[in-house]
Amino acid sequence: MKAGLDAVTSKVEVLTEKVKADHFPTADGISYLEAKHLLLLNYCQSLVYYLLRKAKGLSIKGHPVVRSLVEIRLFLEKIRPIDKKLQYQIQKFTRVDTTAAEKIGSSDKEVDATQNMDDLLKLRPNPDMLESKTSAASEDATGVYRPPKFAPASMAEDKISREERNALRKEKQALRQARQSTYVRELMNDLEGRPEEVKEFVGTESRELTEYKEKLEDRARREEDLFTRAPLTKLEKKKMKHMKKSRNGLQGLTESFFDEIKTLPVEDDVGGQITGFENNVDGDRKFKRRKVVQDETHHKNQTAKNEKGAQAYTFWQIWQGKSQNIDGNRHYKGIKSSY
Amino acid sequence: MADKAITIRTRKFMTNRLLSRKQFVIDVLHPGKANVSKATLKEKLATMYDVKDSNAIFVFKFRTHFGGGKSTGFGLIYDSVENAKKYEPKYRLIRNGLDKKVEKSRKQMKERKNRAKKLRGVKKSKAGEAAKGGKKK
Repeated sequence: MKAGLDAVTSKVEVLTEKVKADHFPTADGISYLEAKHLLLLNYCQSLVYYLLRKAKGLSIKGHPVVRSLVEIRLFLEKIRPIDKKLQYQIQKFTRVDTTAAEKIGSSDKEVDATQNMDDLLKLRPNPDMLESKTSAASEDATGVYRPPKFAPASMAEDKISREERNALRKEKQALRQARQSTYVRELMNDLEGRPEEVKEFVGTESRELTEYKEKLEDRARREEDLFTRAPLTKLEKKKMKHMKKSRNGLQGLTESFFDEIKTLPVEDDVGGQITGFENNVDGDRKFKRRKVVQDETHHKNQTAKNEKGAQAYTFWQIWQGKSQNIDGNRHYKGIKSSY
Repeated sequence: MADKAITIRTRKFMTNRLLSRKQFVIDVLHPGKANVSKATLKEKLATMYDVKDSNAIFVFKFRTHFGGGKSTGFGLIYDSVENAKKYEPKYRLIRNGLDKKVEKSRKQMKERKNRAKKLRGVKKSKAGEAAKGGKKK
């Protein structure tokens, strides 16, 4: 090893003398690649020295080699984007070099291949190379016609027909309503042998009330989960007040058994879509804007200054004042009686 | 009222080490009464959980269920009163008697603000405003 060390030191001495004699002028700056080369070499040197010190057990604290390591690392990181930008050119050059080396000792076939590679390296858009969609498709070796693939083919395997979808929805809704109705619940309790719950209430409970209570319980469950309380809005307070008003236990009197089972699917008649069974589907929306859709005949009947005379209004329309042609556009706004 | 006993049940018990407290949901059954006072609840919880200082127990957000007889709320038991003072919001400390409510007169504050609107910068010192206030009167 000493012989190697001697050789290295002699060479280095020769080089340093040359540099001092100004044989390698850097007045015009060094090329990027040379600089990178030097930086990497320096980095490796410092690393080796660092490892040597560590291996010998000497302290590394405050030693200039650490600082130089960090500096060189920083430089390398900074020039990395430049590296990326030059990558294309460098690759081109290296590829050309390798192909040139191959050319020297190769046959004609290979020369053609390398020439093709060269053409690809030129890399300007070549419209002659474009394949037309139609020409490629129509010619097939075996003579079978295959249609050209223009658009992606959609797989309609998972499509559910309208009837099936409606049937599914009906099932879901039936299940939901069965769970809510008290008759079915009593049945289930009997079947499963659950203990009887005695809840304190006054008189018979209406369905409205049970639903309201369920909503409150659901809300309470969620609040307990999050350990917070959501404030009651004005509407909710109104509803609470409305529910708490005691009606002497007569709330549930007007409800009958039939009301509960009419919603359950007893006959399988229709495959049509399900509509809402509630009277008040939209809840508290008092003034629901209705879009008036008039078909042509109806329109004609209304707008044509009728020679027939009085039109046929229904009793309700007259009473509620909805018609406009009574007494020359006088609206009976105040008379809105609910029957 | 010794006729009907008050029953307390705790649910969702969790020891919150980050805030050095135990938190839970309280179910109170009080048939016949409107609701239970927080002081009685704190006493009961102190006996249930062996808490030395009942000042470190906080109960809040009680809601009575529909129909009466049962209420649900939240409860916290802190490891010590110092922890409670650190983590609890001011209004709850005031309710427990661990803090004082500062009575700020709203009218004075608004007058001061309006006076300060006319000045700019360092001149908004108290002395200046008090003097101006005196002048105005």
